[in-house]
Amino acid sequence: MVEIPELKSQHIWVVILCVYIFTSVYPIGVPFRMSEATLKAYNFIDSLPPGSIVIMGGSGVFAFDLESSAAMIAAIKHMARKGLRLVALPLGTEAVQFQKYCIDTARVDEKYGGPWKYGVDYAVLPYIPGGSAAVVSFLTDVHALVSTDVMGNPISKLPIFEDLHDYRDIALWTCPHWGFWIVRYVTGERGIPMIGFAQAAAYALYSVYMMIYPDKVWLTNGFLGGAQYEKLVGIKGLGHAAMDSYSLISIFVVFFVILGNLRLLSSIKEEEEVIE
Amino acid sequence: MSATLTYIRTYLVRVILIIAALSGLVTWYFVSPQADAIANELQIWNTAAASWTLFVGIITIFSHYIRSVMKRERYWPYQLYAMILMVLWCIMGVWSGLYSNLYQTAYLSTKITLHIAILGQLIFFFISGVYRTFRIKTARTLLYAFLALIMVVLNAPWTQWIFPNAEKVTFWLLNNVGMSGERTLAITGGIGGVVLSIRILLGLEKGALRATEEI
Amino acid sequence: MISTDPWVWLSALLTLCSFSLLYGDNPFFRFAQYTYTATVVAHSVVTGVPTMRDRFMPLFTGQKPLMVVPFILGIMACFIVYRKYAWVASFPYALFIGVGTGLSVRAMVATDIVGNLKAVIREAGDIVVGPMPSRLGNLVRVIFIITTMIYLFFTLFHKGPLSKPFRYLMTFGKYCFLAYMGISVGNAIMQISGLCTSAINRLIRTWLGL
Repeated sequence: MVEIPELKSQHIWVVILCVYIFTSVYPIGVPFRMSEATLKAYNFIDSLPPGSIVIMGGSGVFAFDLESSAAMIAAIKHMARKGLRLVALPLGTEAVQFQKYCIDTARVDEKYGGPWKYGVDYAVLPYIPGGSAAVVSFLTDVHALVSTDVMGNPISKLPIFEDLHDYRDIALWTCPHWGFWIVRYVTGERGIPMIGFAQAAAYALYSVYMMIYPDKVWLTNGFLGGAQYEKLVGIKGLGHAAMDSYSLISIFVVFFVILGNLRLLSSIKEEEEVIE
Repeated sequence: MSATLTYIRTYLVRVILIIAALSGLVTWYFVSPQADAIANELQIWNTAAASWTLFVGIITIFSHYIRSVMKRERYWPYQLYAMILMVLWCIMGVWSGLYSNLYQTAYLSTKITLHIAILGQLIFFFISGVYRTFRIKTARTLLYAFLALIMVVLNAPWTQWIFPNAEKVTFWLLNNVGMSGERTLAITGGIGGVVLSIRILLGLEKGALRATEEI
Repeated sequence: MISTDPWVWLSALLTLCSFSLLYGDNPFFRFAQYTYTATVVAHSVVTGVPTMRDRFMPLFTGQKPLMVVPFILGIMACFIVYRKYAWVASFPYALFIGVGTGLSVRAMVATDIVGNLKAVIREAGDIVVGPMPSRLGNLVRVIFIITTMIYLFFTLFHKGPLSKPFRYLMTFGKYCFLAYMGISVGNAIMQISGLCTSAINRLIRTWLGL
């Protein structure tokens, strides 16, 4: 039996680093298939009448939410093309920055040549603390809860808020975060449809609510879902880049697990030989 | 503080807690415009009062770092640097505005960059970890490692290209096997959460309200 | 072409400082660590400014004089950092916990408990209808949920004539739970791999321009 040496962690890290650098310099561009889940989310947004108000609401950590941003950015682009309107409701301290990042990257504002005008087609609110209290209060009476936008403009002067008073005016709630608890209030209590651009680690968590409210809650799965949404909208963003490197990394994960098991096997043989 | 005052204080806290909790429950289970108005006002008060807690972090960290720098404790130069950075950052942020492009660029180039890099590094530790731990010694390891690897492979675009139905298998596993475990956690967690809430209302669970105890 | 944008340089250097942890603990990583802490804490303050303006605008414009109550409660909440006066913070925290508890109870009962149980019953009925993969999926869901709940809830009593089959069910439930964890971990790898791609792309493409 050939003796297989135990690899040091550093050796594995060097290999992995090389894989990432390689895919960054030479994108492989492996095509991927469309999933039914992403298609359902896309179709729902597509079916909304122009002028409908969509909320981008949730709380989370930007770095984790970067995964959700792939699908969220593509969805914002889609919403702008369809003539939908968007209100960003930050429920976490980093959510303002994350939501600005998504809107800016989607290039939907008129300053980037997009169709959206701030205050008319989209608006960003300041961070509202309180978690569930903020969501429930927002759904009950927007104008009682919020007085200004993130830049300090009174919301009474922003045209978009003339059509947004309470949960009855919301056509769709999108959540690009881990905020599965929001489903309880948004869909559970008020019956608003929801699309969660779930991170891969949170998909199982979200899917529970998708099963409770079939045809009301839809999910995309992590970077793959993001890449699929990007494909539907016709852009190549972070989702595509992430799936490109993942293609190769997944092979190396399998390779190292097999190597680890071969090492285990060879060490057992070695022990047997010593006993004999 | 005298025992009587502590007693009054403790019970006042419980009264606030019970009124606040019942406002949320009453408004949902009974139709009452008055109860709705009270509940909504209390929720707005909650969001407003909680906004002050955004400043708790800087007070805590400054009091800790100042003490550490004065005593020249380990890493004090880094802490001094952090304090200077915090002050400059606050000035820059308040001056330029949270939604300005300058602030956004600064935030993305520092905090977010660092956070993504730190989380991204986990892949290195993860892969060296699976090399060592996914060694099939028991049935449990076999099940765990096999399903984890299956998911890794099924999510990869190349697998979906070779096996067109791979994506369907991924979602079947996620929506059935994965969801079942999470649903169990949701049910058990929900029951636990309700029990905990009742204990809080009955004053049996003090939790964050330990501050009411005599120091 | 290498970038000339100072923000890109800063971002790239901080990424390198962060990745230097792979080499071991070092001053560069510690510098990155303290930069991270400082920006997180200071960002909280910067976020606080528009938030406070929005929350207390009705108080200062005279629309809602009663907002003075949460204003005072908020100041009291800051006393949590001083051990000697931490009791002052217990009043606002009672409000936070009370409101949160009331809202959570009603939502958890309706969705997490009743909603989930209704879904399980519906799925049990769907085992006999629909296409094969869906029927199999419903069967798996029902069996897995029942056995995993047995595993999580009944950890103590294993006595009496039913103890043996009960223990088999518990063991099966444990394996079901393990299967769920395996799937969750396997799916989550996509997330951290994507984040690493983002970090490396920042170095290779944005900074070095390769």
